[in-house]
Amino acid sequence: MRLAAVIDATVTIPGLKELAMYRSSASIPFAGRYRLIDFALSNIVNSNINSVGVFASQQSVSLMDHIGKGKSWDLDRRRNGLYFLPTSQREGDQLSVGSFAALEDHLNFFNKSTQPHIVVTCAFSISQLDYNDMLEKHLASGADITEAVRDGECMKSYILSKELLMQMIKGFRENRVVSVEDVVNLKKKPYTFAQYEYEGYFVLINSMESYFNESMALLNEITWRQLFLPERPTYTKVKDEPPTKYMKGSNVKRSLVANGSLLEGEIRDSILSRAVEIGKNSKIEKCIIMQKCVIEENCDLLYVIADKDVRIKAGSVVHGTKEKPVVIRKGSIVSEGEEL
Amino acid sequence: MKKQMVAMLLAGGQGTRLKELTYTVAKPAIPFGGKYRIIDFPLSNCTNSEIHTVGVLTQYQPHLLHQYIGLGTPWDLDRRDGGVTMLPPYAEADGIKWYDGTANAIFQNMKFLEAHQPEYVLILSGDHIYKMNYMLMLDFHIKQQAAATISVIEVPWEEASRFGLMETDDQMQVTRFVEKPKDPKSNLASMGVYIFNYQKLKEYLARDAENEDSSHDFGKDIIPAMLEGNEKMAAYPYKGYWKDVGTVDSLWDANMDLLDLDSGLVLHDSAWRIFSSNPQLPPQVVTETCEIEESFINEGCIIEGKVRKSVISQDVHIKEGAEIDECVIMAGSVVGKGAKIRRAIITPDLDIPANFKLQKNDGAITLLTKETIENWEGSEDDAFSSSN
Repeated sequence: MRLAAVIDATVTIPGLKELAMYRSSASIPFAGRYRLIDFALSNIVNSNINSVGVFASQQSVSLMDHIGKGKSWDLDRRRNGLYFLPTSQREGDQLSVGSFAALEDHLNFFNKSTQPHIVVTCAFSISQLDYNDMLEKHLASGADITEAVRDGECMKSYILSKELLMQMIKGFRENRVVSVEDVVNLKKKPYTFAQYEYEGYFVLINSMESYFNESMALLNEITWRQLFLPERPTYTKVKDEPPTKYMKGSNVKRSLVANGSLLEGEIRDSILSRAVEIGKNSKIEKCIIMQKCVIEENCDLLYVIADKDVRIKAGSVVHGTKEKPVVIRKGSIVSEGEEL
Repeated sequence: MKKQMVAMLLAGGQGTRLKELTYTVAKPAIPFGGKYRIIDFPLSNCTNSEIHTVGVLTQYQPHLLHQYIGLGTPWDLDRRDGGVTMLPPYAEADGIKWYDGTANAIFQNMKFLEAHQPEYVLILSGDHIYKMNYMLMLDFHIKQQAAATISVIEVPWEEASRFGLMETDDQMQVTRFVEKPKDPKSNLASMGVYIFNYQKLKEYLARDAENEDSSHDFGKDIIPAMLEGNEKMAAYPYKGYWKDVGTVDSLWDANMDLLDLDSGLVLHDSAWRIFSSNPQLPPQVVTETCEIEESFINEGCIIEGKVRKSVISQDVHIKEGAEIDECVIMAGSVVGKGAKIRRAIITPDLDIPANFKLQKNDGAITLLTKETIENWEGSEDDAFSSSN
C-alpha cells in the first residue's frame, strides 16, 4: 500500500449553509441515499486505499454518526482503517482543500502512517477517480504535486509525498499559504506540478445551484449510469429499510427513489431519500425530498428541497423556481397557507 | 456463560417443493420480499426479542447460507459472548454423522448447548415468514410452568388438515398432537416454534436417540413422547401474520401479501425491523416511460416498463414496453423490451429476451427459470401463451 488518504471535511460549501445548519457540509445528503462524503470515501476504498484520515470541523456530530468506524466502507480495521480526526476549525473558516491549519492538528496521523504518498481530497468533489492510476502517472511525471483535472477543471484532489506534505504543514505560516489547493493554485515555488487527466463522471458541489442541478442531472439514466458503476460501488451507512412501496393511486415518473418509502401521490422529476412518505393526491415536481420527510395529502410542491424530517401538512402549496428552489430546514413543520 | 435462552435455528432443509429455487441454495436462503432471505425473519425476530445466542444448523447446500450469515453482523449477532454460530454436521473419530431428522440435528449439537448452559432452548425453523416476539412466548411458557411450549396459530378449518394440530384444554394445555389429520378436531396449527426446558429437552433427545424406530423429528417423535410421558405441554396462541413458504404458490402468496394492506404483513415498521445483509446499490431509477402500480421495489432497479402488483428485488432492469403483472422478480434479472409476464416467480439473474410472453390465464403461478427461457419457442403460439 503506497497511498494513505486525507479527506478535508472542514471545507465550507458557500451557498449550502441552509443544508449545513445542523450538520457538516460533508454530510449533506445527495442522490437519495448518500451523504456527500460517501463518494470520496468510496473512491478511496475502490482505489484499495485502506488508511484514511477524515479531518472534521467542529460541527461533526452528524458526520461522525454517519461514518462511524467506517464499517460500511470496510475501513474498520485492526491495522490502518479510518481515523476520524476532529480539528479546531469552524465551518465557514475554510474554503480551500487541504487546510494546513486543520492537518496541523493531527500531525500524528502522518507520523504514524507507513504509506509514502498521500491523496488529499474533499467531500464536495464527486467522481469515480482511481487514485492508483493517478499515483502511477504522478510518479512517472516526477512532479512534486499532481492535481486531478477533467477538461481543464480542477477536481480538488491531489497526490503528493507524505514527506513533502509534512514539510508544507510545518512551514505554511512562514510561506504564506493556507492549503494544498492554495499551493497548487499559486504554483508556489520551488515545487513542481503535474496534472492528471480524468475522464468520467465529475461534478463539484460548490453552490446551491450546482447542488440542485447536479442532483436533477442524475434523473437522466445515462448520467446515473456514469456515476453508479457496478464495478466501483458507492458505499453508505446501512439502514435496513425495506424496499419502497408504490401504493394504489401513486404515479411516479422520472425519479430517483431510495428504499423505505411509501408513495401514494404523483411524483415527477424528483429525488426521494430513504423512508419518505408522500400522501394521497399530493403532487411533487422537481423536488429533493430528504430522509424521513412526510408530505401529507393534497400537497403541491414544485422546486422544493425539503431537508431531513420535514413534515408538510395536508393541503400545503410550496412553489420555488429553478433559479431559487425553496429550502425547508431540517425538522420543520409546514402548514397549509404558510408563507415560505 | 449461563444463558437464559438459546435459539437453535434449523436451516438444513432442502425444500424440494420449491423446485429449481433450491437446486443451489437451501430453503432458508431463498429470496423474499424484494430484499430479504427467508432466514432474515427468524434471525431478526431473535435480535428484536433480545436473544443474542443463536445456533444455525445447516446441512443442505450450506455455502451461501454460511457466507450470507457470516459473523452475524447485519442482525447484531456478532457478539463477544454468544452471537451466531453456524453448526453444520461434523466428523468424529467414528466417522461423519449427517443430521438425521430435526431432533437428531439438535442432539448432535448438545456440546454447543452444554457450553451455554441455557435454562430454555428455543427451536426455530427457517421456512416461515412472520414477526414474533419470542420473549412473550417465554413469559407464557414460564407462567404455564410447562416442560415445553409449542407456538400455535389458528388456521381456517378447511385448511386445518394440512397442518400438525394441537388439541388443547381451556388452559391452553396440549392434550393431543395430530399430524395432518383427515378429520381435524382443532384448528390450532403448530408453527414449528418450540420452547423447551433445557433439562427436559436433553432427557427426551437422549431417549429418542436410543430409539431405533424413531424418525428423530420434533413434531413426529419428541412432542408425542413428551405427551406420553405426561409432561406439561402448553400451546402459545400466536396472533399475527405467519406463513409457511414451502411451495412456489405459498412463496408467491406471501410476497403478494406485502402489497395487501389487510394481510397483516408490514415491513415498514421501525419498531420491528427485519434486518438483512444490505448490498450497496444506488437508489432505483424510474423513467418517463414507466408505469408502476401497487408494487414493492428495491434499490438498484431501473424501471422503464409497466409494473403492476409485483415485488421486485435489487438490481432488476425492466425495459421499455415490458409488462409485469403479479410477479415476484428476484435479484439481477433483466426483463427485455416488450416482454409480457403474468403471475410468475422469476429466478435470480435471469435474462428474459425481448417480447417473451408468459400470460397464463388459469391462475397458476409459474416458476420462470433459465430452462423456461431456453424452451421458449419465441412465436405467438408458443406453449406458454397458448392458454390465452
